[in-house]
Amino acid sequence: MKGLRLFLSPFAPDDSGAASVFHALGGLVIICDAGGCAGNICGFDEPRWETSTARSAVFSAGLRDMDAILGRDDRLIEKLETACMQLEPSFAAIIGTPVPAVIGTDYLGLKRLAEQKLKLPVVTVDTDGTKLYDEGIGKAYLNLFKTFAEKESSAPNGTVGILGATPLDFPLDAPWENLRQELLAEDWRQVAIYGVDEGIESFRRAGGNSRNLVVSTSGLTAARYLERSFGTPFDIFYPFAAEELKHAIDQSGKMISLDWKKILILHDQFHSNALRQELRQFLPGSIIVCGTWFQQHTKHAEEQDKRFREEDEFQMYVREQDFDCIFADRDFLRAIPFYQKDFIDLPHFAVSGSR
Amino acid sequence: MEKKPYSISIKELHAAGRDNIPKELQTDTHLIFNSPAALDFNSPGAQGFGVKRAGLSIPGSIMLLISPGCCGRNTAALKAPGKFGERFAYLLLDENDIVTGRHLTKIPAAIQLFVESRPEIPSAVMLCITCVDALLGTDMDRICRKAMETVHLPVLPCYMYALTRESHRPPMVAVRETVYSLLRPGKKQANAVNLLGFFAPLQEDTELYPLLRHTGLRHVRELSRCRNMEEYHELSRANFNLVLNPEARGAARWLEQNLGIPSVELTRLYQIDKIHTQYQILAMTLKTRIVDVSWFTDAQAVVNQFCRAHGKEVLAVGSRLNGNAFEIALAMVRYGLTVAEIYAEPTPYDYFYIKKLAKLSPKTRVYSNLSPTMLHYRSEGKGITLALGADACYYHPTAAHVPFNEEQQPFGYSGVKRLFNAMQSALEEAVRKEVRP
Repeated sequence: MKGLRLFLSPFAPDDSGAASVFHALGGLVIICDAGGCAGNICGFDEPRWETSTARSAVFSAGLRDMDAILGRDDRLIEKLETACMQLEPSFAAIIGTPVPAVIGTDYLGLKRLAEQKLKLPVVTVDTDGTKLYDEGIGKAYLNLFKTFAEKESSAPNGTVGILGATPLDFPLDAPWENLRQELLAEDWRQVAIYGVDEGIESFRRAGGNSRNLVVSTSGLTAARYLERSFGTPFDIFYPFAAEELKHAIDQSGKMISLDWKKILILHDQFHSNALRQELRQFLPGSIIVCGTWFQQHTKHAEEQDKRFREEDEFQMYVREQDFDCIFADRDFLRAIPFYQKDFIDLPHFAVSGSR
Repeated sequence: MEKKPYSISIKELHAAGRDNIPKELQTDTHLIFNSPAALDFNSPGAQGFGVKRAGLSIPGSIMLLISPGCCGRNTAALKAPGKFGERFAYLLLDENDIVTGRHLTKIPAAIQLFVESRPEIPSAVMLCITCVDALLGTDMDRICRKAMETVHLPVLPCYMYALTRESHRPPMVAVRETVYSLLRPGKKQANAVNLLGFFAPLQEDTELYPLLRHTGLRHVRELSRCRNMEEYHELSRANFNLVLNPEARGAARWLEQNLGIPSVELTRLYQIDKIHTQYQILAMTLKTRIVDVSWFTDAQAVVNQFCRAHGKEVLAVGSRLNGNAFEIALAMVRYGLTVAEIYAEPTPYDYFYIKKLAKLSPKTRVYSNLSPTMLHYRSEGKGITLALGADACYYHPTAAHVPFNEEQQPFGYSGVKRLFNAMQSALEEAVRKEVRP
């Protein structure tokens, strides 16, 4: 049945994805909700929230039934004005949830009204909590670049931008600094990691990037926008595949086996593709399917790859395909208790929330 | 503008009056700051019991959460073995559903599949719905009736309507009514009482159990101790209910109207003399005697010993703990301790304590966890040495920590002892940390 999940709990939603992009930027971030969505985002989907030393300014709009029924945007703006006076942020962001989606909030109108009153740049993201985190990340990036990125002259080997790096796809201790050092050693002058680096400045200067690297599917829309608007070329580049494959295999206590004739890798598409490339060095004759519950771009997919939307569809597919090994977040096992062959845990925060 | 958190002295707060609580301390006049100190305000289910866990208090029940994915996301935290994971399923709504409400027609079939997927037949199916259905105006009672015809099991609605948090029937009040609503009138037992109010039982050592038994109430029952439906239905046999949390008043009213079980309310207090007074009032109401001297003197001894040894500690009292922040602060001040700060949103009902605090400790400052200005709060220079409550612990990382927010609930004299023992242990631990190289 469409939408029915008997075993898998919901994956990180689009509003969480959007919030993860804003986390380190120093703006006033308002989750346009009654409270529960903000609680879910911070209390569950943002692992940096409790650990970061700088207090992140994430707020709930604190909507009540009459605010929603009467569409009292003016009250929200009043609250925003007061908070801006108290906190003096450099910009404000309003992230959508199901409540504004049901009442048909006009985000463009809200942005204009807020910018007029606050005299600040305001970014709105029309997430609605029904979609998945990768879409929310994409929307947040896009609206940030549309609001802030200016045309700057780019120099060869000037700045390289990394798009799609958030803790929803990558572990909190992902070696971004090592990657930055490696890129600097390759003669790049600056490395901007969007979603990890603090402050809004790198977004302002994004029009001058010499190249962008897209490390997960959630960065692709923004990369295309930057290419279209500023002529910045981009590459798909998942940086940690070799180490991750080794780590996952070591942790499982198994060895890569020639008996793995048919393999399923479940993760973000670019992530899975990179692992497939690594695995093929050891298992050139095996069929390796990259499956995903998130965005799947045909251009980057092989014929056998699969996108899942429903739990029963996933169960049936795994049952029929008779895989010898599955690489996936351990949570997926709950839906396929009949699967008894090799399983390699590939944690995905957006799936299980496991840190 | 100087960047500092909003606060007000308890004297000023009292002077303003219960009808003029500053808007900075009200919950619906400003953006709600989402710090770890405020997490369980925004999302009660993130720590402790929210509607989802509370709705599963009926033994053997299962819950279908009907919502956009975002509303069920933190339920992933309950999936671990031995937790609630097996008892949840989800009907995830897409953007068409949340506008047209077309998902409603699928619910009976979804429940059928859910029931069939579990190894045991559940006792009841709880349908948890969220802000979306609140705005769509969904008639959930009708849907539950229709679903019952399909699965031949009780199907009950649980309203996780965050939008109605400040209404006369907020979600945590409504769910307390729901979890008793399967009870049917039963043969009364004169020696039985139910304790209403919490989703976890009282601490085993609370004197309330032996005190009630001593008055002849041999059966002291709590929903959270019911292991099966047989024990659940025993709740309908109570002679009366003891309401220990104001949020259970609605449930008590329902039980009185439908099952003829009257109720008496007790307040959770940390002032020993008031606990004694309350027990004596209860005794008068029940036309019996309650002899609580030994528990009284035990608790008094623990308090006295602590205050003699640690009279110079400076306390911060938060509201994310098992108690009322203002009452606990008042208790501490009356015991001779210094309370420098309170983190809580006062309600008109709290003015009973605020009035007394204003006389005894007028300089104590009140902050709101939910105020955006708390982003500027810094602990340095405040001199707080002992933090009570998860929120106070968050603000004062270097103080001795007493979160005091366990799921099992403290009550009465034993609650006082437990709190002071925890304070003692926290200070000893802090000393150990200091002397450690």
